[in-house]
This record gives sequence, C-alpha cells and structure tokens, in this order.
Amino acid sequence: MGSIQIQQLTKSFGDTEVLKGIDLDIKDGEFLILVGPSGCGKSTLMNSIAGLEEVTSGDILIDGDNITDLSPKERDIAMVFQSYALYPTMSVSRNISFGLEMRKVPKAEIEKTVADVSQLLQIEHLLDRKPSQLSGGQRQRVAMGRALARNPRVFLFDEPLSNLDAKLRVEMRTEIKKLHKRLGTTIVYVTHDQVEAMTLADRIAVMKDGQVQQFGTPYEIYNNPASRFVADFMGSPPMNFIECVVLDDKLVIESQGEKFELQVPHGDHLKNAGVDTVILGIRPEMITEPKPHVEGALVHSIPMQIEVTEPMGPDTIAFGQWNSTEIQARLSPEAGVDAQDTGKITVQVDTSKAVLFDAFSGARLGV
Amino acid sequence: MSSLTLSKKLYKAFFITLLLVFALAYLGPLYVMLTTSFKGIEEIRNGNILALPNALNGSAWVKAWSSACTGGDCYGLAPYFWNSMRIVIPALLISTAVGALNGYVLSQWRFKGSNFLFGALLFGCFIPFQVILLPMAKLLAWLGLANTVTGLVLVHVIYGIAFTTLFFRNYYVGIPNELVRAARLDGAGFFAIFRHVFLPLSTPIIVVSVIWQFTQIWNDFLFGVVYSGPGTQPITVALNNLVNTTMGGKEYNVDMAAAVIAALPTLVVYIVAGKYFVRGLTAGAVKG
Repeated sequence: MGSIQIQQLTKSFGDTEVLKGIDLDIKDGEFLILVGPSGCGKSTLMNSIAGLEEVTSGDILIDGDNITDLSPKERDIAMVFQSYALYPTMSVSRNISFGLEMRKVPKAEIEKTVADVSQLLQIEHLLDRKPSQLSGGQRQRVAMGRALARNPRVFLFDEPLSNLDAKLRVEMRTEIKKLHKRLGTTIVYVTHDQVEAMTLADRIAVMKDGQVQQFGTPYEIYNNPASRFVADFMGSPPMNFIECVVLDDKLVIESQGEKFELQVPHGDHLKNAGVDTVILGIRPEMITEPKPHVEGALVHSIPMQIEVTEPMGPDTIAFGQWNSTEIQARLSPEAGVDAQDTGKITVQVDTSKAVLFDAFSGARLGV
Repeated sequence: MSSLTLSKKLYKAFFITLLLVFALAYLGPLYVMLTTSFKGIEEIRNGNILALPNALNGSAWVKAWSSACTGGDCYGLAPYFWNSMRIVIPALLISTAVGALNGYVLSQWRFKGSNFLFGALLFGCFIPFQVILLPMAKLLAWLGLANTVTGLVLVHVIYGIAFTTLFFRNYYVGIPNELVRAARLDGAGFFAIFRHVFLPLSTPIIVVSVIWQFTQIWNDFLFGVVYSGPGTQPITVALNNLVNTTMGGKEYNVDMAAAVIAALPTLVVYIVAGKYFVRGLTAGAVKG
C-alpha cells in the first residue's frame, strides 16, 4: 500500500519560496511523474516526500498517516538517486542488503531478498564486485536493487536515467515500466525529460516556479494543456504557437502575402471574448501533407514556404513561416519533400485538436 | 632517448645535480650522526669526522638508552621514551577520532554557522604555541593536571584538533552528500553512516592524520618542557638534558646515539606509512 496525499505544502529557503502550496493526491500503485524545467521545485518536492528536506508548512500523508515530521527511516520509502549513491566500499550484495541490515532483518531473510532482487534485475553475477567495477547501466540496476530490496510503500526516483547514454536510457525506461507493472508499488519519479514523462507516467504533474501547473494523465497533458507553458514543455518537436488576428469566430493566417481564415474549435467563444488577437497552439503532427480522406470544417489547406527540413526517418519536419512566426510541420517522408527542398508546398492544417491561449497571460482560452 | 639535444641534457644534469645537493644537505648530518654514534670517544677525538668507524661499537647506544645522565638521574633515555609514547599514542588517537567526527559533521551535516565554526577551528592552526603557554598552564593547574601525562595529552589533543579537523573536513567534502541521504533512507543514523560508509573510505586520510600528529607530538619540545614534571618529561626534553649534562668530557657518540633514538620513531612511522601520506594528501583532489 502506498497512497500519498500532499496538502498545501510549502518550502522556503530563507526568503526564497521554492514550493508554493503543492496539492497532489497520488493513488496507491500509481506511477507519478514530476516534470518541469530545472529550478521548478520538483527535486525539493521529492526530497520533502523522502524526509530529507524539512517542509515549511503543509502536510504529507502516506496511506492516511501524517508523516510530515517523521525521519526518513521511519517513512518506509526507498529512493534511487541520480548519481546512484552506491556505497563505494561495499560490494554490490552489501549495497543491496545494507538497508535491511540497518533495519535488523534476520540474516536468512536478507540473503533470500538479495538473491530474489538480483535475479529480478539480472545482476547475480555482479554481487561480489565493488561499484567502481561496474558500468553505468549496471550501477543503475544495483541502485534500483537497493531500493527494491527494502520493499517499501513508495519508491522515489530522482532523474535516475539522466547519467546514461541515449540507447541505454531508452532500454532502462522500458525496464522501469515493466518493473512497475510487476510490483505495483507507488512510484514518484522526477525528470526534466518530457519523453520520459509521457512514456512512463500514469499521471504527470507539470511544475513551474514551485507550483503544479497541471496534474493529469499523459493524454490530458498532451492534448488538453492547461496553459501555454504546459503545451510548450510537453511534446517534441514542440507545439507551434502562432499569434493570430481574430475575425468573428475565425483566425487569420498569413502565408506568403496571402490571408487564410482558419476555423477552430470553440470559435464561437472568440466572438464574445472581445479580444483582437489570440495564440493558436497547434502540434506539428496536425500540419501535414494533404490527406484526401480527412475532411471537415476544421481541415484547411494553406501554402507554406519551406525554409529547411529535418528528416527524422518516420517523418520529416519542415520549417516555414506563418504570421511571421516559425512553424514546424510534420510531413510523411513520402510526401515528396526531401532534405534539400525549399520549395513552396500546400499543407493540410487540421485544427480539431488546436488550442487557444491568451496572447498576454498564456492562459488557456475557450475551455 | 638519443635524440635529446645538448641543452636538454644539460638541463637534466643541472636538475639532478641540484637534487643531489639538497639530498646531501639532509643526509650528510645523518651520516655524521650515525658514524659518530658507533665510534669510541678516542676515535672521535683523533679521527676525521667524516671517516667510517674502525669497528661497530654499540656501547654509546646502550649508554644513551639505559644509563646516560639526564640532569640528576642516570637512567638513559628509556624512561622518557616510554613517557613520550604514553603522551603520543592517546593524544594521537583522540585527536584523530575527534577530527574525523568534526570533519564528518562540517562537511556532510552542515548547519547554520558550520562554516564559521570551521573557520574558527582553522584559526587554531595559526596560533603559535608560545601565545597560549601561560593561560594553558593556568588551565592545567585549575584542572589539577599540571605536570601530568594526562595534562600533556590534553594540550596536544586541543592543539591537534584544528589540524585533524582540517584534514578530515577537506577529505570528506569531496564525498557526495547523496551517500548520506541514501544511507538515511536505508535507515542508518548519524554514527552508523559514519561507521559503515565514511570510515571505510578514510584510510588515506587517517594515515595522514596519524603521521602528522605523531610527528608533531613526538617532536614537541616547548609544551613538553613547560607542562611536564620530573617524572613525566618527554624524550625531546630528556635529550636536551642529556646533551647539556656533562660529566667529564663531552661524549659525542652518546649524544649522537641519543639523538638518533629520539628521532627513530617518527622515521619508522614515515617509512611504514609514507606511501599513504603522499597519496592521502592528494586523495581529496581526485574522486575515484
């Protein structure tokens, strides 16, 4: 069991307020990702859950017990650190068993746990080695083994993959997800990598400046962002933000000196909103080569002057300009645009998933 | 390499010569001390100071150790040698242990004002011995420790902590704090983390601290002469008395043997652990 309630949590270092009233309700067995740019307070929040950082005000509950003032060892939490923090003088097996040893677990039980955990993580052959004799990926496994051995109520992961090379990172990512499926223990995972956040999470809390900007499933965060910040932070290549003049219930896009009217969802709001301009947020995959079978009022054809292309393999990102703003379109590699192409093409713009933001505050409009 | 140019060869020869000159400057007196200590007194008076002894005559060593007069008593250096050991070993162990704990706290368990405290402790490294002679004498008298081995141990511990704290703090500051955090989550407390995580990492710096403290305390003369009583004098004070006590002619061979005996323990410590000393001094700089 391991549900976590965080209520009105604040934390200040001197005059600097790092956490400004965090409320999160994490269900038992959930994989929660805390994501945000550096300095947003996500690591401080995690350290507060671990008990490594004293909070200024607010409460943290695990399974309904208020643990705010408990020491780390009384919280029944295990953590995987970014630097792994393996004990350098201890063998792998002692690294895994140290936490049990400190908790006075009987020897036979410790041995069995070390055997089980090392088998689960496929590190049996490394048990006698010292951390300095391991590769980065192996250290990562041992660090996870140390956390698993304790069988805690909650796992905390502090950017555990950021020290691995790209290929290994993707492998370990999948492995962590499999592990979670298998164990079903609550995980709170800090990362600044939005791909990790999208792929791993049951729910994501996007943080900025010590506040939770949005708390929801990856689908909600991606398709229904609460603010321009969230929309911009999640997704790669990032969402296009185009400042558009409002014309009744439509938006105006200017390309190559020509003007086009764009119909958007919730367009009727625009008429009554009394704003001259809004920010149109549209993801690159909604600007594509013409697809004859996609039709409707929200599908438009607009020309685009390609300035540069980036072939990714599965698709090609084309850069152009509308309303004097750089935009990215996601074209099929078969669309006839290759890396050298800088010609003018007509793209299909599907605004069914487009979102609108206030031009000044970045707040979401029309929801 | 055969391709070395003449100027490079000259350069190299110059440095080697320079090093040899310095080595000789240090080893020359040692050579004289050793050869003289094995000569008889007649041989010293008539012979060349640099000549090797005609035969290895150990009588000066025996006399220096067991029967030479140091002031009024004529028991040799032996009792004072053990006095020094009784001062050095506890003072060295206590100051190293306290320094290790201080360093552990000041680097890994920082609190408000910990940097100031470290600075204040560091200040202790720069206070000359002479400055504290009188107040310390007062303090020892007040504690009832004047002229005792315990009193000397206390003085050396207090003086040593500044240095040992500096060593350990600078060594531990290179160890990532995440280790402490990980161990705390694993359920280890302050002392358990020190014992299981930090102490096993500390061999090089313990050796540095031990060599440093051993040499400092063993070689100390000023505290020894001021705070000791007749029965508690360390070997440095006894050596001074031995050399200054003349009954008849000056026995250079006994003086030399006594000086070597007084210097031997620090030499042994350095030879045994010197490899670690150099390694430990640089260990903090490069993380493994």
